[in-house]
Amino acid sequence: MKTWEVMKEMYESTWLFCLKRVITLPFVLLGVSIMTFLFIRFVPVEPAEVILRMSGVAPTAEAIQALRSELGTDQPLSIQYFIWLKGVLHFDFGSSFVSKLPVAQEIVEKLPATFELALAAFVCMICFSIPLGIISALYKNSIFDRIVGLLSIISVSIPTFWLGFFLLYLFSLKLGIFPTNGKGTILHMILPAVSLALPTTGLFVQAIRTSVIEELQKKYVQYAFLRGLKKSVILSRHVFKNAAIPLTTMLGMTLGNLLGGAVIVEQVFSWPGLGRYLIESIMNRDYPVVQCYVLIIAIIYVFANLCTDILHRVLDPQLMIVRRRE
Amino acid sequence: MIFFKKILPFILILMLTIVAGCSSSGESNGSKTSNEGKVITVGWPLDIGPLNPHTYLPNQMTAQAMVYESLVEYNDDGTISPKLAKSWEISDDKTAYLFHLRQDVKYSDGTAFNADNVIRNFNAVLADRDTHSWMGMVNHIVDVVKEDDYTIRLQLDAPYYPVLNELAFVRPFRFLGDNGFPEGDTTNKGINAPVGTGPWVLTEYKKDQYAIFSRNEHYWGEKPLVDKVKVKIIPDSESISLAFENEELDIIYGRGIISLDNYTFLKDSDQYKTAVSEPLSTRALLFNTQSGALAELKVRQAIQYAVNKEQMVESITHGTEKVANKLFWDAIPYADIELKPILFNPKKAEQLLDEAGWTLKNGDKIRSKNGQPLQLDLIYIATDAIQKPMAELMQGELAKIGVQLNLEGADVMVGLQKLMDNQVDINFWRTNGPPTDPHSFANESATPNANGVYEAKLGLDNAAQIDGKIHQLLIGTDEAERVQLYKDILTMFHDQALFYPISYETNNVIYHKHMKDFNPCASEYDIPYAQMDLK
Repeated sequence: MKTWEVMKEMYESTWLFCLKRVITLPFVLLGVSIMTFLFIRFVPVEPAEVILRMSGVAPTAEAIQALRSELGTDQPLSIQYFIWLKGVLHFDFGSSFVSKLPVAQEIVEKLPATFELALAAFVCMICFSIPLGIISALYKNSIFDRIVGLLSIISVSIPTFWLGFFLLYLFSLKLGIFPTNGKGTILHMILPAVSLALPTTGLFVQAIRTSVIEELQKKYVQYAFLRGLKKSVILSRHVFKNAAIPLTTMLGMTLGNLLGGAVIVEQVFSWPGLGRYLIESIMNRDYPVVQCYVLIIAIIYVFANLCTDILHRVLDPQLMIVRRRE
Repeated sequence: MIFFKKILPFILILMLTIVAGCSSSGESNGSKTSNEGKVITVGWPLDIGPLNPHTYLPNQMTAQAMVYESLVEYNDDGTISPKLAKSWEISDDKTAYLFHLRQDVKYSDGTAFNADNVIRNFNAVLADRDTHSWMGMVNHIVDVVKEDDYTIRLQLDAPYYPVLNELAFVRPFRFLGDNGFPEGDTTNKGINAPVGTGPWVLTEYKKDQYAIFSRNEHYWGEKPLVDKVKVKIIPDSESISLAFENEELDIIYGRGIISLDNYTFLKDSDQYKTAVSEPLSTRALLFNTQSGALAELKVRQAIQYAVNKEQMVESITHGTEKVANKLFWDAIPYADIELKPILFNPKKAEQLLDEAGWTLKNGDKIRSKNGQPLQLDLIYIATDAIQKPMAELMQGELAKIGVQLNLEGADVMVGLQKLMDNQVDINFWRTNGPPTDPHSFANESATPNANGVYEAKLGLDNAAQIDGKIHQLLIGTDEAERVQLYKDILTMFHDQALFYPISYETNNVIYHKHMKDFNPCASEYDIPYAQMDLK
């Protein structure tokens, strides 16, 4: 088979793969929506009562009934779900029980802040993990490698909120470099981004190290050395490229993890993003907000996975060739 | 190697640039006096909300109280004084209240405050009676009538004595300027702008980040001493403490804004000034008298005798809360009565349990009666830094007299709901505080699904008698009779040991030394920003 035919087949195969994944997407989201809808309702005490009590008043039966009817929580569960689903299909995610504003509007207002934080953390993670992982692999079992290994374990083990407060204490209170809270300048962003990035950085450093070490032990590398190729050429053109392939899947999951981890980091650093909004909404039993949030996170996860799978296939043509042979 | 030659130096330079940038461009901390005048910065855990005077969540009461005012004001000593109404008269049958409004009041946008505007506000609130039905007065208002441009008459269908106290509350009877009203006056759906008569005007607002209130130059009363108050939204209490230590905040003010551990730590550092308000509410345990062993008075009393309350309150609240031996602090209206306190006496506790038939069999550590062990469930709010150690300490104290206390941490709403559903024995409970206590306490205690007291007292023999007295006192017109009724009700609750009063909660205040001293208020929502000043 000629090269262009192989290329064409690979191209068609990737599209078919994407199409299959996109077709399954609505079913995944439907499942997520049903589970979220039910699980949030398992939380004791219904929204009308919570909202009234959180307002500092002892609710009367009339007040609870009036609010239930206004919120629509007096309807049977199935009706509530279908009303919500119908709205979602028309891109109407309902209104917040507390603020009365459209949920989509509130989430769109807060999403950029969370993305900004997650992106900054992602950049942090890449900046730290790639050099550390590669150097650790190249100088395997050296003191540097051992120190990095120890730090990786520590960074993965430390709870995010503890790390956040530690960084605040050290860099804000003692060294006076960064503000303790808020958003606005790059200074406000560094500590939250580092707190969010560190646990994943530890994982990534070790993953990169392992992957590079595995590649270095492969025969084609030894052959390349025997051919007299420069070490820098072998590493940059072959080893790093091939070592990156298994990491792409992990990279996709990382973005989702960063968005999830932002819930705690936003709380500690008073970052005005979606995470804080979610915590308040869970406390207030603000069903539409929680449902919309989970749906959005699910979509992001699914798309991030899809993108990494595609990237994986593009970087590693063997995946498609194997399938063609089968 | 390309990596070492090109990529690594680039990354290092990038990181150094960021760090260098960080150390050279710090945000101006704190407040002090600047080009913007005197600014005080305070931390608050929740966004101030839309500043609608007629609605509840997500509006923060502390912010509403800065912008909007009431007809009358509640004082820390339990008395009522004039505010937007300079005086008032009450009809002989106690069903009509004539309010004479101040004529020198203007809204922050310069528009007039008068009878028409007051009635417009009342009507907007009363259009949504169900929502406000928790406030007894709302169910009695028949009409609000304009007598002249600066006089209104509030007509009730029956006497309801706490009208003035309820009018003093932070919401919903506070007044929005005409320009703040939406079309159709549906303020329950939203307002056009937060226009009030209060000492502060909202001038800058970034949702979930901060709100800046400036002095209202049209204010009729004594003008605030500083030019601006900046409220920074910091959801985590530890982060509020750190921001304060880092001089990004001038003051921390309120109940539970930071943990008492942090408060004590900051206080003990001697770098800051502290103040504590008069008590505002009572922290207590509420016993479910429908539930097993707690149906017996002697068991409820024994639990109270068994716990060394003085030591518990001192060690856990670090002396910031006062020990409570009565359900209400003396300054609460009608609550200054003589009641015999139940003081720590473990021997007496054991004696009471023995008398009730709950005895220790040979070798047992838990008392039992008719084969049933004396086990009780207590729910505390899992995230509450005070309730959990108190619950654990009581668990230890009760174990010494042979009572097993099972603890369960739960969400803030769950404990009360479980108690009302008769699924738990004991729950932490607190009074509302001024200005609605003690009448709101009485009203709720006789109403199902309100504050849990109605359900908790169903096991008492005299529950119906207590409810009868409560109904009588809310509609009675004779002051002496009311005093007696309150005395009877509070004494019955005390004698029946339905509550275990633990401590009186206060507003804890900590501020930097660059601020002048001021007196904190015994109110959940009135923060005296107008009295605060910088040196």
